[in-house]
Amino acid sequence: MASNLPAQPNLRVTIIAADGLYKRDLLRFPDPFAVATVGGEQTHTTSVIKKTLNPYWNEPFDLKVNEDSILAIQIFDQKKFKKKDQGFLGVINVRIGDVIDLQMGGDEMLTRDLKKSNDNLVVHGKLIINLSTNLDAPHPNQQNGLRPQQAQSSTSSGLVPQIAAPSSQSQAGPSHLDNSPAPAASSSSLNNRASTSGPPPPANGAAPPGVGAASRANLSSFEDSQGRLPAGWERREDNLGRTYYVDHNTRTTTWSRPSANYNEQSSRNERAANMQLERRAHQSRMLPEDRTGASSPNLPEGQSTPPPGAPPPAAPAAGGTAPGSHANAVSMMATGATTAGTGELPPGWEQRSTPEGRAYFVDHNTRTTTWVDPRRQQYIRMYGQNQNQGGNNTTIQQQPVSQLGPLPSGWEMRLTNTARVYFVDHNTKTTTWDDPRLPSSLDQGVPQYKRDFRRKLIYFRSQPALRIMSGQCHVKVRRNNIFEDSYAEIMRQSASDLKKRLMIKFDGEDGLDYGGLSREFFFLLSHEMFNPFYCLFEYSAHDNYTLQINPHSGVNPEHLNYFKFIGRVVGLAIFHRRFLDSFFIGAFYKMMLRKKVTLQDMEGVDEDLHRNLAWTLDNDIEGIVELTFSVDDEKFGERRTIDLIPGGEEINVTNENKPQYIELVTEWKIVKRVEEQFNAFMSGFNELIPADLVNVFDERELELLIGGIADIDVDDWKKHTDYRGYQEQDEVIQNFWKIVRTWDAEQKSRLLQFTTGTSRIPVNGFKDLQGSDGPRRFTIEKSGDPAALPKSHTCFNRLDLPPYKTHDALEHKMSIAVEETLGFGQE
Amino acid sequence: MGSQKRIAKELAELVESPPAGITVNLADEANLYEWKVLMDGPEGSPYHKGKFQIKLVLPTEYPFKPPTVSFATKIYHPNVTNDDKGSMCLGMLRPDEWKPSSKIGAVLEFARQLLSEPMPDDAIEGRIAEQYKNDRKHFDEVARDWTRKHAS
Repeated sequence: MASNLPAQPNLRVTIIAADGLYKRDLLRFPDPFAVATVGGEQTHTTSVIKKTLNPYWNEPFDLKVNEDSILAIQIFDQKKFKKKDQGFLGVINVRIGDVIDLQMGGDEMLTRDLKKSNDNLVVHGKLIINLSTNLDAPHPNQQNGLRPQQAQSSTSSGLVPQIAAPSSQSQAGPSHLDNSPAPAASSSSLNNRASTSGPPPPANGAAPPGVGAASRANLSSFEDSQGRLPAGWERREDNLGRTYYVDHNTRTTTWSRPSANYNEQSSRNERAANMQLERRAHQSRMLPEDRTGASSPNLPEGQSTPPPGAPPPAAPAAGGTAPGSHANAVSMMATGATTAGTGELPPGWEQRSTPEGRAYFVDHNTRTTTWVDPRRQQYIRMYGQNQNQGGNNTTIQQQPVSQLGPLPSGWEMRLTNTARVYFVDHNTKTTTWDDPRLPSSLDQGVPQYKRDFRRKLIYFRSQPALRIMSGQCHVKVRRNNIFEDSYAEIMRQSASDLKKRLMIKFDGEDGLDYGGLSREFFFLLSHEMFNPFYCLFEYSAHDNYTLQINPHSGVNPEHLNYFKFIGRVVGLAIFHRRFLDSFFIGAFYKMMLRKKVTLQDMEGVDEDLHRNLAWTLDNDIEGIVELTFSVDDEKFGERRTIDLIPGGEEINVTNENKPQYIELVTEWKIVKRVEEQFNAFMSGFNELIPADLVNVFDERELELLIGGIADIDVDDWKKHTDYRGYQEQDEVIQNFWKIVRTWDAEQKSRLLQFTTGTSRIPVNGFKDLQGSDGPRRFTIEKSGDPAALPKSHTCFNRLDLPPYKTHDALEHKMSIAVEETLGFGQE
Repeated sequence: MGSQKRIAKELAELVESPPAGITVNLADEANLYEWKVLMDGPEGSPYHKGKFQIKLVLPTEYPFKPPTVSFATKIYHPNVTNDDKGSMCLGMLRPDEWKPSSKIGAVLEFARQLLSEPMPDDAIEGRIAEQYKNDRKHFDEVARDWTRKHAS
């Protein structure tokens, strides 16, 4: 064979990229490299691209071939190259004479599906190579920018979002159109192709708009009409056909294209800055009943005098930032306590100051910090007494609720059948909504619903099942490996171990978990485990950041264990009073409460489907919309019909039974499709939080319980608000903002939930607010009768506000509207 | 969404009494959801005498979501993407305008109507739309030229 080969290389093979390689390990991506051989000789190897299923090499090799030569290109995972299977990821074999005429010369771009080898390991993905007989040409590095490589615009890799996208759709039509925005210089080559003879080049020299769109469709996932993406970046489409970008360097996803002058360092800085913003927002979240919760100050380095034998205090890097003015404001709001008390501090307590000079208090008994002076608040002193009762002080440590102490003799706390907390005074045989332990002034002038949420929290926290057990639960993780490490650590412990005092340690960092570390831990972990990158959760259609279970999570055979793990983490965070930096679709919280999802919930999942299901309910469908009681599902490219009721495929939907059909379709789409995953999640969650306890909350309160209440910047909110039918100067609008400003963090969050469907604020503020169809600023529309309540359209972040005559009328209606959505309207 | 019966019925109707200038078939007999449509260019349009192959795909959510329509045959038209997809997405085909009562036959007639009367104000190819509005003579020329080259 070799003797027939020419003396000099006569073919340039450029190994451009592979697309959608098989992901053999759950949490690790391969480090792929390619090996090219001709008839088993002339071996050439590309460089190794780290951690990706879509490596881009673009490396040329000059080879000696004749038309019978077999070019073989194999892909391996470098990390496993020493293992038995060498981390084999696929191979293509090409007979040169089949693809290029060596005599005539040519330049061919090939996209081939990767094939298995003898050992039958699963393989998927494509390999893109270029063959050229022109060895004098400069390395075709930059030319590729607009060269059609692939008919398919989305990758076919095993990772979902894009798995749900219709994969069959894009393969029609001529697959090799030359769509370069053809400057005059290349017109000679274009003349060969009929397709480009039509449109004259645009006068202004800019790329013709149509062609721009055209080239996108032809491009590989490593480039778009603006050219090649930065190294390690990939373009994908999600289940709704929206384009997003994956940064394999950092395993992050984003909606915005990395800019042309992308620079790794600056983008890393940007990400770090973003993360810091998110972290700060996360740390300032709180709940109304928290006295020592998330808004408590951290122990800055060097200020601590830990009790003998204790490790040194948390370093700022690990424990997050010291409380800034932001956090102060929030916690002041939460506690209302800032003035100093007098006399001696209780045993084990210490007073310190933040760098800003604000006093706070360290309780070395429970290793917690608080802004509240223990000498000042009556219920704090009761806490001290409580500790001595029965000597079981360990069971009540870090229990702010127990700061309230036991109920007075003869009193009992109960729940109504609607899960409201009330109190029975058996002495007088009376009942009251008011907690006899709370100073009565605390509840005055506070809206009913707010008192309810706080009462529920108090009740919830006071339950024996939510008491911290004695001992410690150590979780040691590496910062850059937090998902995997946490999975191992949290799944190896029993549920009762996890109820012990949580001691988080970041590998290689000194720090004692006085709260800061665990806050950081849940912050980082929530960013990681809900990352759509892992295909366990995906973003909903409603807006860009609320999460739902990915129905195709089964690409990962271990997915159910991971859902159980995530359920445990959510439970763990609630149990230990930490917040996750994650927000789910409204229906998810309802599912957690085992409430029935309704058609209304579909709005947050898929707006178009919701609209047409609603249409079906409202219109005569007989003989017009012919349906049966079944659904079609597509999984991994395969369609199946699933009966909604036994024999459903043979039962027609009529005007009479359509409500049942709509109900079943909604339930299938939101619940049934992900039931396995959800049940696994709940089995983990309920190990820490019993179902009957979490059920005291409604779905909106549950969102606040899991994510905490953020401090909302009203100036930013107002600045990025649009008006329809109103002007900013109108009295109603002026009053609106006046009222919002007087509301506390929880009320603002509730208003935000009411209008946008989630209390989440985009990390960069209200200017980035997303609707179901892309960016949607908060909008107030003049609509409705002043006798009616305001309405909201959560898909469009819109509040329909009737022109109320007075400030008081407006405030009254707004409060009721927010309350109504909380389900207290009946009471 | 339990739409198989409906789709089968729509298909049978369209095969039996096809709209003028339109022939429908399944791309693959085993798959109800992907149709191969052959459309004659309407008389009086620059597409006249051309035969255009169209792929019509029904989503799993049909009829709550619209079908997708794409020209497998290359066509020079302001409402069809000038790329290898040849997608058409306007009017009743837009997800937010689609109604469950809309039928595939109506979709196809709508598409054919668009060949007679493009909607340049709702164009996907802005440049072609400009040409259609301002320089109809050249537009017709190019469209005819493409029809001759690709659709005959």
